[in-house]
Amino acid sequence: MLKHPMLKYLKESGPHGTRLPFIMCPGCGAGQVLNYTLHAVDSIIKEGGARKEDFVFISGVGCSSRLTSHYLNFDSGWTIHGRALAIATGVLLANPDLNIVVFTGDGDAAAIGGNHFIHAFRRNINVTVICMNNGLYGMTGGQVAPTSLSQAVTSTTPYGNIEDAFDLCRLAQSSGASYVARWTTAHPHKTIKAIKKAISKKGAAFIEILSQCPVHKKQTPVDMIRAFKAMTVPINKAEGSSKIPVGEFCDTPRPEWTQKYEAIIEKCAGRKS
Amino acid sequence: MSGAPLEKKEDGIGAAGLISSGRHYLEGSEACVEGALMAGLKVYGGYPITPASEIMEHAARRLPMVGGRFIQMEDEISAACTLVGASWAGGKAMTATSSPGFSLMQETISFSIMTETPLVIVDVQRPGPGQGYITTSQEDVMQARWGHHGEGPIIALAPSSVQDMFDFTIEAFNLSETWRTPVLIMAEETVAHMREGLFVPDPDQIKVVLRKKPQDLGIAPEDYQPYGHDLVPPLADFGDGYNINHVSLAHHPDGNVANYNLDMHRKNVDRLHDKIEGNADVIARTESRFLDDCEHVLICYGAVARTGVEAIMEARKTHGIKIGFLRLVTLWPFPQSLLRKRIKKVGTIFVPEMNLGMMMHPITEALRDRCDQVVSIPSIGALHRPEALLEKIREVVKC
Repeated sequence: MLKHPMLKYLKESGPHGTRLPFIMCPGCGAGQVLNYTLHAVDSIIKEGGARKEDFVFISGVGCSSRLTSHYLNFDSGWTIHGRALAIATGVLLANPDLNIVVFTGDGDAAAIGGNHFIHAFRRNINVTVICMNNGLYGMTGGQVAPTSLSQAVTSTTPYGNIEDAFDLCRLAQSSGASYVARWTTAHPHKTIKAIKKAISKKGAAFIEILSQCPVHKKQTPVDMIRAFKAMTVPINKAEGSSKIPVGEFCDTPRPEWTQKYEAIIEKCAGRKS
Repeated sequence: MSGAPLEKKEDGIGAAGLISSGRHYLEGSEACVEGALMAGLKVYGGYPITPASEIMEHAARRLPMVGGRFIQMEDEISAACTLVGASWAGGKAMTATSSPGFSLMQETISFSIMTETPLVIVDVQRPGPGQGYITTSQEDVMQARWGHHGEGPIIALAPSSVQDMFDFTIEAFNLSETWRTPVLIMAEETVAHMREGLFVPDPDQIKVVLRKKPQDLGIAPEDYQPYGHDLVPPLADFGDGYNINHVSLAHHPDGNVANYNLDMHRKNVDRLHDKIEGNADVIARTESRFLDDCEHVLICYGAVARTGVEAIMEARKTHGIKIGFLRLVTLWPFPQSLLRKRIKKVGTIFVPEMNLGMMMHPITEALRDRCDQVVSIPSIGALHRPEALLEKIREVVKC
């Protein structure tokens, strides 16, 4: 039987039954993001850039965060709501040789985890943050998120959202991220390329992927994916456009946290002897 | 200022970057960090708070000397979280905070209990509620046990000297690695800022425990169960090739989610409980004096043990009161059967605490049939003076 090439990285089945089909709702974008990420990881492994055991996946809480422990046959931690980046920081400090990928959602990253989000990029810790942005809280029933657009009607903004949305890419960039890109589930090849680039770089990288939640947005997945193409514009053509810019926001490497700390260790190790 | 002796006297540090054997004169905060380094501390994630910041400052200075890493995080929540990640990647990790910061760490403590993650948290207690008062306190001893959500048993130690701050920190790491669980050191401002003599044994005389790993037990990656095999499951580090999944939702022994399986969840909760509470006699320690002939007993912990022992010595010597002394070295798991073994039948049990009578409750529960009465001697924000304790003892026993 022909198998999906990425199944080798997933826990297809176990002693407690088959892991598939997916627990996500039909048409959810999280599966696409998982697929794109694994393609990027596969490509890095095949090119000898890292071994499978060098990868660690950390997530917080929310639909997107379920990807880690439910499916990945990698070292992983499904952690506390909002705190994936803080836990990833600890992983890095204990073993800077690991490739850490954080799966997060917009509520997990930008609301409860907002403080850790900005500080992780400010510190430029070596981590790749993949944020599935569906503009709402999916798992808890479609409540408003800091990424919901103005006037959005959600289960907790029944009269329309009076707040404005965060631009997560601009937030990551201004906090000091080394690499920032935004794509959508409608841009598979571009997304895979961006994730591969982000993981391969030393430093804090942020990939935002606009992802559909057909259930809470009450639209068909096909319509939503088509809309992602229609509502976005390449970042170099974004000026003057009201559309959402997609592409690379920045690619500006600077010394990574553990690289800089290494100099302190060397200095102190010399001092003690 | 903390750290002065080591800054000025580099010969206080041995060849491996660890504190040298022999006698030192240190602050409790410094002794805590030196003990942690001796136990193999690799990562410290912290956030400043009075009166715990000295531990963090000392860690910042000392960790790079042994090749470890220190980070000041953006809050106490993230500080506690770095320990979780570091521990999963194989590094022994700790933080120190004070009461308001300890409140912020409760979710991570609960998470670490469920994911069976070894780590050490020091709470240098100060009085509350709220920002309260910046002196000394034992007001978090119940929060240590019950502050985190869910049925999560905990190990908590109560140091009462600079020597304890060194020894108990090593013990805390050993307990956390042995039982694969977070361990709390419930210090007070009194012991953290106390400065007195410390004796450091030769490194080969210091017991350092390393976690049990599946590869050491001959368990292959495909057979490995991060929450199975034993009462204390072996723990693979990230990067070991064991594809470990850390999960705090209800899970099967292999780490797969069991959120529609209440029986499985119950089994986990029971195992976590058995692991700590079922081994209370192995884990918990007490220290006692004059229990053989005593008609009354004073039970205390932490810094209060210092003035407590002075008070009972005076009561026995000068006033002829037959009073014994028992110190809770371990607050949690509560040493109930140890207490019942040591204390047979007495008149009054005195419980001086730097709170309004918190540990008095489990003490009463353990010994209500062994005494006529339990008398709480509360204090808020200040250590009891020995003469005040003596006065209370004399008033009650009418001597």
